Amino acid sequence: MPNYSPPDKTDAKGVWIFGDGTPADYPVRKSSSKLISRKRRKALMPWLFISPYLILFGLFTAFPLGFSIFLSFQEWNPVSGLSGMKFVGFENYISAYDDPWLWKSLYNTVWLAVASGVPQHLIAIPIAYLLVMALKSGLRHIYTATMFIPFITSTIAVSLIFYSIYSTQSGILNQWLLLAADAPLIGWMFAWVHDVMPLRWLGSSSLIKPAIAFVVVWKYTGFNIVIYSAGFLTVSKELYDAAKVDGCNGWQQFWHVALPMIRPFVFFALTLTIIGNLQLFEEPYVLTAGNSGGVSQSGLTASYYLYLVGWEWLEMGAAAAISWMLFLFIAIVTSLHFYFNGRKGLEGNR
Amino acid sequence: MASLELVNLSKTFGQVKVLHNLDLTVKEGEFLALVGPSGCGKSTLLRIIAGLDDASDGLVVMDGDDVSELSPRERNVAMVFQSYALYPHMTVEENIGFNLRISGLSKAEIASRVEEAAQTLDLTELLKRKPSQLSGGQRQRVAMGRALVRNPDAFLFDEPLSNLDAKLRVQMREEIKRLHKKVRTTSVYVTHDQIEAMTLADRIVIMKDGRIQQIGSPTELYREPNNAFVAGFIGSPAMNFLPGRLLFEGDDRFAVLTDGTRLAVTDERAGEIANNAAIQVGLRPEHLRVAAQGDGDHANRLAGTLDLIEPTGAQNHLKVSVCDQLLTVVDSQLVSLDIDQPVTLSIDPNQVYVFAAA
Repeated sequence: MPNYSPPDKTDAKGVWIFGDGTPADYPVRKSSSKLISRKRRKALMPWLFISPYLILFGLFTAFPLGFSIFLSFQEWNPVSGLSGMKFVGFENYISAYDDPWLWKSLYNTVWLAVASGVPQHLIAIPIAYLLVMALKSGLRHIYTATMFIPFITSTIAVSLIFYSIYSTQSGILNQWLLLAADAPLIGWMFAWVHDVMPLRWLGSSSLIKPAIAFVVVWKYTGFNIVIYSAGFLTVSKELYDAAKVDGCNGWQQFWHVALPMIRPFVFFALTLTIIGNLQLFEEPYVLTAGNSGGVSQSGLTASYYLYLVGWEWLEMGAAAAISWMLFLFIAIVTSLHFYFNGRKGLEGNR
Repeated sequence: MASLELVNLSKTFGQVKVLHNLDLTVKEGEFLALVGPSGCGKSTLLRIIAGLDDASDGLVVMDGDDVSELSPRERNVAMVFQSYALYPHMTVEENIGFNLRISGLSKAEIASRVEEAAQTLDLTELLKRKPSQLSGGQRQRVAMGRALVRNPDAFLFDEPLSNLDAKLRVQMREEIKRLHKKVRTTSVYVTHDQIEAMTLADRIVIMKDGRIQQIGSPTELYREPNNAFVAGFIGSPAMNFLPGRLLFEGDDRFAVLTDGTRLAVTDERAGEIANNAAIQVGLRPEHLRVAAQGDGDHANRLAGTLDLIEPTGAQNHLKVSVCDQLLTVVDSQLVSLDIDQPVTLSIDPNQVYVFAAA
């Protein structure tokens, strides 16, 4: 009678044997697949599934990245075709380094990133908190969706509307300021308006950056409100109850409990803002009417300058070098953000 | 420490009234448990006592003063939550000392009181850890420490042990009892676990559908339940109920079951129930004996068939089919019985409870 009990051990060759040394003679079932073994099929399957992405990634991301590195060492006008490339070594990088417009554009970029980035969060966090704490879910969704609309509206359309709002003669902003200056109760607060009119929001080097920054704040604050609302919703109601029992008033509940709890969300939103704001292009381009960044290039951002070098002046090699320098700059700033805020921002102690 | 009084307290959510004109007094230093099934309003009542929710009507009185309009902090009560509600971004030390920090105490005072609370609860080694680095039992102790450090007038516990495993629950139960013995602070403890309430509380309040069913010591509730709900809720395994009617024969009282079985009932148990009235007959599993054991020689006998045996180690829980219903019988003698075997159960007339049928 065959021994159906499980074998006890393996011998020196790895064959399963029973206690008395009899080998366990298991019948081997053959695979029905003849062309390719099961193991190989298992190994190939994941690659097969991700191959469409890998092909697209190679064609549209990896290759352009590599090509742009190659291009940054060439002098090339695309009109002359691929044969017009000329190797110039590090000359594009050296020229960019010595280019005052690049440094000015980087200064403008950082200025706009800070002036438009910080208010977005300072406004979005308290609004999101109030939306979550004070409103019932249905009403909160309506408010949040309304505030999200600027984010999904075309940047070109938004910028064009603000271009008309900022118009010196017919813009509604200057008209409102004049009305406010003449209003009976609040007029004293706007007494300065008559002295400075007409305000050239997009035609004055000192006003153009604040004007652009305001548009960016207006457009992206709603997006941050959505992120922070989601963050505040993750804070358990029992924590607020515990804080109340611990004696916290409304402000203390926000400051000591809610705000620290949404730290990962703040980190995420700040990261998006840093990366996004350092690449500002459409708003300054439209608001300065595509005129090389407006008066004294006060509205010229790094991405905008990159566009000018590549597509206006057709110096693709120089544009590639600038784009890599801009990439390096964004990478450094983001790394600093990760270094200083990342540990606390990403810690999983919730 | 403070006494606590609830006067004609009601709570309504929209059209639904969840607490119905409750009157309750908790004596100074007393440990009172609120027990009832889910949705009976016990947690709502606790939140009203804490000041986290407002009563729709009635008063919360502490030490003779109406505190209904005061904030939780002003009431000087401390609360331990079901999910512990520890602040995840703070260390154990910061969690325990947070309410003292909010009160504006000096750092030295906070450190000393946190240290004292940590020693009481054996948390000294864990003070620098974050809640995520603690086990369930340790988190529970931190939540207790947070309440303890304030020297509150009353402790409020909202099902604090329900997230722990069975073994840890027993351990923490003992710790809470020991702690209360030491600090003697007035405590109100909400739970749906009657064992927890029985072992911890000086008095228990049984609630159902927002109404108090009975208030009494654990022994009183077990021995003299006011109604079938209380009788069924207190005791483990739960009391068996069989439908029947009460029969008067001269001075004797009998519970007559649907199959005609007659069980003698004492006058005390029969109470005010009228002759021939429909009743629920309550038989505690631990009071029923298998007659074959030899000790089941009481006058009251019930014939049934053994349906199932559930061994629990020290005892067997027998499921016996009587009058088409399964009765649970606790068999401490571990009698050898066969499934489907006819068995005769007996019970002392003093242990036969009768309640007017609803």
